[in-house]
Formats: sequence, C-alpha cells, structure tokens
Amino acid sequence: MTSEIATRNLSKWYGNVLGLSDVSLEIEAGITGLLGPNGAGKSTFMKLVTGQMKPNIGTVSVRGAAVWNNTSLFSTIGFCPEADAFYEDVTGWEFLTGLLRLYGFPDREVRERAERALDIVDLAADKDRKIKGYSRGMRQRIKFAQAIAHDPEIIILDEPLSGLDPLGKRKLIKLVKDYRAEGKTILVSSHVLPEIEAMTSRIVLVHQGKILAQGDIHYIRDLIEAHPHMISVTCADPRAVAARFVADRSILKMSFGTDGRTLVVETHNRDAFFSRLQEAVLEAGVEVDEIRSPDDNLQAVFDYLVGK
Amino acid sequence: MTVIREKGYYHWDGSLVERRFPWWPITRTGILLAFRKKRFKLFFAAAYLPSLVFLAALYISERLEDFKFMLRGSERVIQITPGSFKMYMTNDGLLFLLVLVLVFAGSGLVADDLKHNSLQLYFARPLRKRDYLLGKMAVVFFFMLILTLVPGLLLFVFKLIFSGSFKFFTAYPWLPLSIIGYTALLTVFFAFYTLLLSALSKNSRYVMILIFMVYLFSDILYGILHGIFRSPYMALFSIKSNLAQAGSFLFGQKLPFGFPAFWSFAVLAALCAVSALVLRRKIRGVEVIK
Repeated sequence: MTSEIATRNLSKWYGNVLGLSDVSLEIEAGITGLLGPNGAGKSTFMKLVTGQMKPNIGTVSVRGAAVWNNTSLFSTIGFCPEADAFYEDVTGWEFLTGLLRLYGFPDREVRERAERALDIVDLAADKDRKIKGYSRGMRQRIKFAQAIAHDPEIIILDEPLSGLDPLGKRKLIKLVKDYRAEGKTILVSSHVLPEIEAMTSRIVLVHQGKILAQGDIHYIRDLIEAHPHMISVTCADPRAVAARFVADRSILKMSFGTDGRTLVVETHNRDAFFSRLQEAVLEAGVEVDEIRSPDDNLQAVFDYLVGK
Repeated sequence: MTVIREKGYYHWDGSLVERRFPWWPITRTGILLAFRKKRFKLFFAAAYLPSLVFLAALYISERLEDFKFMLRGSERVIQITPGSFKMYMTNDGLLFLLVLVLVFAGSGLVADDLKHNSLQLYFARPLRKRDYLLGKMAVVFFFMLILTLVPGLLLFVFKLIFSGSFKFFTAYPWLPLSIIGYTALLTVFFAFYTLLLSALSKNSRYVMILIFMVYLFSDILYGILHGIFRSPYMALFSIKSNLAQAGSFLFGQKLPFGFPAFWSFAVLAALCAVSALVLRRKIRGVEVIK
C-alpha cells in the first residue's frame, strides 16, 4: 500500500524552541492516531502536513507531491484545528459557505455542500444561529463540518474530541470511522489514549518533537499495563477509604493530597481496584466527588520509552 | 488481498476551477461584516455629505442668477475650477470621515483573523498569502473608491450636465485623470495604513483607536514640530498634509507646503513599504508553544 502522507527528516523549530526533530513517517489510508502530551509537536506536525508552515529541514509530501506552497493540493486536504477558529458574529451557514467559496466551487455547489456537511454533523437546524450561541459540542462539530465539506481525501483532525461530552465524543468517533470506511486517510491527534483507541489501533507516539513509537496500539497498551496506574479519588474522608485498601496486594502506593480530600493510588490492577473501590466507598459511607485517571499513565510509557 | 473500499459519501462530477480572483471570498466577507455594524453605516452615509455639499455648489455655480439673493456679491467664491475639485477631494472633513469609515470597516480585517485563529483555516485552503492580503486590501479599496472615485467622477459629470456643455471638459480634459490618480493614491495608502495597524493587535477595539489616533497624532506632531523648527518640511510628519501636498500636485494646483511634492510621495510610499514588510511577517502560520 502506498503512503498518502510521507515525511522525511522533518524538523521545525521556533527560535531556540524545538517543535519537531527529524521525523520520518509514512501514513497510509485509514485512521492514524497521533498520540502525545501537550506540546509534544502534534499540532506542528499537522500544520506542516497541511502546508501552513515551511519545515526548517526535511520534506512533507501528500499523495506524492510536496506540500509547501502547493495550494492546488490543499483541495484534497481537510483540516480541523484544535482551537476555535471562527468569527463569533457569523452564522454556521455563513462560516461554512465562506470557506467553501475559497475552493472555487460554483455558488450552487457551495450551498449544496454546506447543507450536506451540516446534515452530517447534525447542525442543519442550527445553521442560521450565530456561532457565538453555539455550545462547545456544536463548535467542534461545525469545525469538523468545514474540514469535510469539500470532500477531501485526507482529513487532519487536531484534538477533535477535546471538550466534548461523552455523547458528542461518540458521535464524532462514529463520523470519523464512517470516513475510514470510505477509504479516506485520517490523521487524528489526542493526548488521551482511550480517545485514540476508540478510533484506531494504528498510532504514532510523539514526545518532545520526536517519534517515540509507531505501530499497533496493543503494544502501547501492553507497555502501559507493565506500569502502575495512577488513580485519584476525591471524597470527604479519603483516609477512611484508604484504610480499606491497606491489605490489598495489588496496591503499590497510596498518598494523600494536601487538600485533605484526595487519595492517590498506584496499582498494577486497575480493574480490580475499581471493583474493590465501590465496596470500600459503601463500607466507609463517604460520598465520592471525583475519580480520575489523569493520563491513563501515558507519561509512564513516555518515560519508559525515553529511558528515564 | 485487495481491499475494496466503497466511496459512499458523495461524488461531484464537476471539476474545481482555478479561480480567477481567489481573493474575492475574503473581500466579500469583509464587506458584508462591515455593513453589519450600525455605527459603520452611519459614518459611511456621513462620508457622502461633502459630495452632497459640493453637488449643491456645482448647481448653484451654474444658476448664479437664481441664487443671487443668497450669495450677496460672493459669486467668485463659488466659481468651479479644478482647484474646487482639489479642495473637495483633499479637504479635512472628507479625510476625517474616510478615516472614521476605516475605523469601523478596517480595524478588524486582520486583527479579527488573528484573534479568532482564522489564518490556519484560510491557509489550509487553496489560498496564497498574497491572495489573502489582496482580499483584505480589496475591502479598503471598495470603500475608499465608492466614497471618493465614484462621487468624484459623478460630480465631474454633473458639472457638465448642469452647465449644459462640454466647455469644462475641453478646458480641463486632464481633470478626470487627476481624480482617478488622487483617489488611487488615497486608496492604496489607506489600504496599507489600515492593514498595517490591523495586523499589530488581536484586539480590533485597540486597532480602532490606533487608526484614528495615528492619523490625528501625526498632524499634532506636525503642529508641534513646525512651532519649534519653523520648517515647512515638518509637514512630512503629517499624513493629512502629505495627502494634501500630493493631491495639490496631482490636480496641478499651488502646493500648500514649501517643498517639492516628491517628498510627500516618498513618505507615503515608504509607509506603504513598511506596512508590506510588517504584513509579510505577521501573516503566517503560527504555532503556540506551550
């Protein structure tokens, strides 16, 4: 299978800050997840692939053609940025049609495509509302709509699920999967492993501007399993809950937050901990405010891969 | 194994055309957004007042007998010459109203794109940086030309209609060219001026103040420096004075300041060059370093 996106020795820096370093990568049709913490270089990579920035060293090619300054190629690429990128005073319809006109479609085609894209993201009923009145989920969906409205072969999605509620996430994930079924190439970034996992098993792990690992997500999962999971429980009496886990052999470490309301647990067996937690909370008779698994221990994997 | 994929989304039989004017959608949006502002509409309409006053003067000048009771011996004042057109086009009131129009129509042109991160959406599409800038400039071109060139040429035509002859045209055949030349200078200068200031901040309110204050302050600076040095060259610090000097030259009138008009053209061109350099640096893909 030939690669849709190929980079060779790609490097980008901003003054003395390194954005990307010597990245050589080939991305094929289907969904590829770009996984890494904030500031890892995911957005830089995406902006280089979409031709918005010129690499300092190396090349980026899409479907065999160099991207930089090749504006005719941009019709085959759809880009959904991480940050909101719209005028608040325009309606969803005006936002979409305005951007579609930049591709050179005839007016009628612009209208039809805008309507179709709005239908796909379930925003047809809200198309005449100003964007400033849109919820976070609607904003994410209209951003996605502008990325797909011109029917690109390659779709680049920068943190598309951030800020969405679970239902919104599920809808967007389904949309992305639908596009994969149509033979599109989709590059999606996130710093949350389960989000990427829900879309694809093919991932690229980015950290500090470098590719740390590339391949099947199960390999990364195995690495994560080999490292302790960190779980944070916030409740009124964390010590009462902790007392129920002292004898539990799967618990490696417990510590308390300075706020006196947080219990931080490190465990090898996350599933066992969660099932035991339910009983412990009931036994202690406390109300739990929050349970968090900060980064699904992704940082531990990064640390392991960079040899810390 | 061969992977068969079905393309179920949509297939368009047409082919994408290379747009002749790829900047037009940017211009269109800029014009539409300007007309959504209530205060802009007010100043836009007010910017036609000098034209209406001049139109009345044109009419009266051709009907002196009818208006003798009003003029009371000041008929000479209302004689229409190329100097009258120059006075109309370079007068402080018109320039002030044009600046106010730009305050509302031009302040957000680049600033809003920077604020809303829109550049990344534009440049991920078949749009070059020069198309983007041309599109933004064309918004200023549009407003400046319909407020200066169109009324200027129409007033020239009205002068001929009111006089009922082509005598004025045969006497001054170069006047329409002067009008075109001066309004082109005004338009290009104000396009660079507005975009430069709009690219300096993400806050369009701050840019509004800048557009107004830089224009005003340059004139105040001229007043102060002229008071100290008593040199006519101090007028080069004033945007308004430079435009008046260049306008007088283009209309073939006596220069208001005692130095060659070349210097005013040079100052205006230098400001445009600085603006082009700043815009080149500011309009590009940006990455936020966290």
